[in-house]
Amino acid sequence: MLRKKPRFGNSLTRQTRHWFPLFVGPVLAAFIIGFVWPFIQGIYLSFCKFRLIREAKFIGFGNYVKALEDASFRHAFWFTAAFAIVSLVLINVLAFAAAYVLTQNIKGSSLFRTVFFMPNLIGGIVLGYIWSMIFDGILSRYGTSILMNAKYGFWGLLILVAWQQIGYMMIIYIAGLQSVPDDMLEAARIDGATRAQTLFRVTIPNVMPSITICTFLGLTNGFKLFDQNLALTGGQPIIEQGGSYVKTTEMLALNIFSTFYQSKSTSPGVAQAKAVLFFILVAGLGLLQLNYTRKREVQQ
Amino acid sequence: MKKLIALLLALVMCLSLVACGGSNSNDGAKTEEPAADGEAAPEDTAAPAASGEGSVYWLNFKPESDEALQKLAGMYTEKTGVPVKVVTAASGSYAQTLTSEMDKSNPPTMFVVGNANSVKDWSSYALDLNGTPIANELNTDAYNLYDEDGKLVSIGYCFECYGIVVNPDHVAAAGHTMDELTNFAGLKAVAEDIHANAATLGFDAFSAPDMDDSSSWRYTGHLINLEYYYEEQASGSKWTECPPSLTGEYFDNFRNIYDLSINNSTTDPKDLATGGHDPVNEFISGKSTFVLTGSWDYAAIAETVPNATMIPYYCGVDGEEKAGLNCGTENCWAINSMASEADQQATMDFMVWLVTDPDASRIAVDSFGAMPYKNAVESTNAFLAAADDYAAAGNYVMDWATNYQPAVDDYRAAAVSALNAYNADQTDANWEAVRGAFIDGWAVQYANQQG
Amino acid sequence: MKKAETLTSERRRKTILSVVMSIICIIYVLPVVAVVINSFKVNTYVKTNTFDLPTGEMFAGWSNFVKGMTFGNYPFYKSVLYSVFITVVSTFLILLFTSMAAWYIARVNSKISKAIYFLCVFSMVVPFQMVMFTLSKTADRLHLNTPWTIPIVYLGFGAGLAIFMFVGFVKSIPLEIEEAAAIDGCGPLRTYFLVVLPMLKPTLISVGILELMWVWNDYLLPYLVLDINEYRTIPIHIQYLKGSYGSVDLGATMALILLSIIPVVVFYLLCQKHIIKGVAAGAVKG
Repeated sequence: MLRKKPRFGNSLTRQTRHWFPLFVGPVLAAFIIGFVWPFIQGIYLSFCKFRLIREAKFIGFGNYVKALEDASFRHAFWFTAAFAIVSLVLINVLAFAAAYVLTQNIKGSSLFRTVFFMPNLIGGIVLGYIWSMIFDGILSRYGTSILMNAKYGFWGLLILVAWQQIGYMMIIYIAGLQSVPDDMLEAARIDGATRAQTLFRVTIPNVMPSITICTFLGLTNGFKLFDQNLALTGGQPIIEQGGSYVKTTEMLALNIFSTFYQSKSTSPGVAQAKAVLFFILVAGLGLLQLNYTRKREVQQ
Repeated sequence: MKKLIALLLALVMCLSLVACGGSNSNDGAKTEEPAADGEAAPEDTAAPAASGEGSVYWLNFKPESDEALQKLAGMYTEKTGVPVKVVTAASGSYAQTLTSEMDKSNPPTMFVVGNANSVKDWSSYALDLNGTPIANELNTDAYNLYDEDGKLVSIGYCFECYGIVVNPDHVAAAGHTMDELTNFAGLKAVAEDIHANAATLGFDAFSAPDMDDSSSWRYTGHLINLEYYYEEQASGSKWTECPPSLTGEYFDNFRNIYDLSINNSTTDPKDLATGGHDPVNEFISGKSTFVLTGSWDYAAIAETVPNATMIPYYCGVDGEEKAGLNCGTENCWAINSMASEADQQATMDFMVWLVTDPDASRIAVDSFGAMPYKNAVESTNAFLAAADDYAAAGNYVMDWATNYQPAVDDYRAAAVSALNAYNADQTDANWEAVRGAFIDGWAVQYANQQG
Repeated sequence: MKKAETLTSERRRKTILSVVMSIICIIYVLPVVAVVINSFKVNTYVKTNTFDLPTGEMFAGWSNFVKGMTFGNYPFYKSVLYSVFITVVSTFLILLFTSMAAWYIARVNSKISKAIYFLCVFSMVVPFQMVMFTLSKTADRLHLNTPWTIPIVYLGFGAGLAIFMFVGFVKSIPLEIEEAAAIDGCGPLRTYFLVVLPMLKPTLISVGILELMWVWNDYLLPYLVLDINEYRTIPIHIQYLKGSYGSVDLGATMALILLSIIPVVVFYLLCQKHIIKGVAAGAVKG
């Protein structure tokens, strides 16, 4: 990676250098508007008390203290973490199984692939609506609804997300499985390995990169989930917990969103502090992944 | 190819220009920030007014009046050329929408500050309306909201009443008379009788409201008022600000009428959670005899049930034969003090037009209820007339104590959740959770609001 | 003899797998089927008879679709137009500008290139919630709150991933071709558009698909940035219906959902290969 770069067509390099405003300018300007400035301002505001931004007053770490004291935020964290981990395992196992079967040269595999992938193209809000209709269609026969029990909300969301994302992960696994060298499989077969042995000793070690990617992807997707959460349960039901009211199926992203727009005058600052904490969490996971994949690349 | 490149180049230039212009105005905003410290100054921050002429931006909080408001806005613009924009927040999200809209570069010039809490939150952004032309048009001070310093933060633009709307024909068809409906026992007897014979009668007693956002406020924002009101009465004096906690003394009375309405209804209580039935529409189409609603639905109801009338929330309280309807308003206008002077003026003119112009006030009166202004047309709303009749007969008016609900959206959402659980399984334990949400929840949200 | 036996058992195994997968597939499409049947069902039956076919008095014909067109006091076609416009323009801007920037970053080895590249990678791990509040305010201050200008916001927030993917690809292109073009007297602009851009095609498609899917389905960004009553994209409109006054008309909502899914499905079936490839590429690199 670090080998010396060949000098780029000298005259062209020098010429190109001057074209910075044209080539990079527009993106940079938009990037500053759409990311850099809001990010910096966001960090700053997390230390401020404000209702309208122009009145922001610096107050130090007060917002962070309040955010961490907030029972609904803590609940959202645990709910999100539990959801992310369960969905991670469920989706990956099913996606891998599907990919494994579809790479067995069975009839109709391309049709199956098409079908499994399709839900991934539907947006989260629409998905939430579709599934709330389905769940309520079933649950109303038993005199209940997805909005009434946090357990239904949890598993309902899980089914929804699994339905949406299995196809996506499956595609990644298929790519991984197809890159397992045929001669290795052949050698295993000649050595008399059973199907299970081949799967665990040869195939799975060879698709580790795909597994890594899907693990992190599943984890960050789980943590960042918003649209589906909003449209399916919106956090319902709400229960009383230790002297405050907690939306039992609210995940972190939704919790941050609703904190921002509460009527309370201190809430935007607290919400921004929550957002920074959320960012540190998600970015931490992302960096872990980057580190991990980079290490692998070095090893290879 | 050259043409294409030229075109692309042009595009790039345009974008860079937009972006640069953008950055500049961004800098402008930055330097402005310290200047606008402390008290909001009316003159400076100023949204760029469209070339001297002001414009009106009304952030409305009642989805049901959106259609009428849009019509009024169009009429005004056609007449005067002043642009009027009406934006309606989705049900249950007014506070959220207001918070986000107020921070925009073109914030609402008029918005709704309808209760004590809202006054506390928004009074520093509201123009003092004392002595303004619109205040001078008022014929009563009853619906005005002041802050601690006596600043007139917002003024009522209409008042409403709510209660139980009754279809007298159905009551008669079931072999009862309206005279039976003077207390809870009477109401209960009639409702249960109708419900028991719903199959033969062809209509049911109640159309219980759904618990989704479209209707749950009929319970959490209206029916619960009887509990607050009687508690307020018991305390001896009218609330002037949000009490830190409730006693829940009359909560069993709330349960009486609540149970009656959900268990003698067209809809199985278990099905209320997810919504999908429009209670008022059911009533209009003749499927039910009672519905919990208010004067704002009169126009729609009168089309098919012209003799519909409204009775008080009977709930088993002693002396409730002298009860009247729930009258009040949370429809109160405030003018944004941060808006440019031209916009403030335009907004003021629009308000005055709305309450004085015969055509405009006719539409407004028909869709909202009565307007407390000298030159507004008279209301033809039979529900409001019923309210007057009760008052004239010496019955007590139940004022809108719900206007004091702390952290109103969160408070109501928690109550809805508890009610859902109770609807699915009507046990005393589940009712305790409902009580918790309404009564203990009040104190929790109050403390939360203060902190 | 033995070999033949394993072959038949192998074939039988595959047949069983095929059958099992077919059954799963049918279950998999059921939610979409449910949307289709309920969009033709009279509102009140959607909840009570969710899984029944719309027959007899339950059949609503096209009335849900007709009602859906003006549902929530807002014409649905406007939502569609705004969604299409925003998606297409945003994707176009992102593809054009980020690929140009990526080429510059990959080819001109300077501190600023590195800094921008680093920022882009960094932005990929930042969740939207971190910037949503301030971004919506910034966009509002700069009057980027209309469908005509919101693509600039998308360009800004979506630049990270796109630049990352393009830079990765440009680095894998041998320099010689561009050098040859330079020797032939091409300036950077012509080199880029005539030589580099055509080579970028596979990555352009991958990135394009990712961005299309993102922008088309995005709810929160346009919800926070756009002027809410005037401009509603499809996801905003559908979410708004839930909070509307009266009661939620599930039949009409399902009709709208069906209408909003159809173009996506058609697009998917037409460009399936590219979509799957693009998504896989985005995942592997992101």
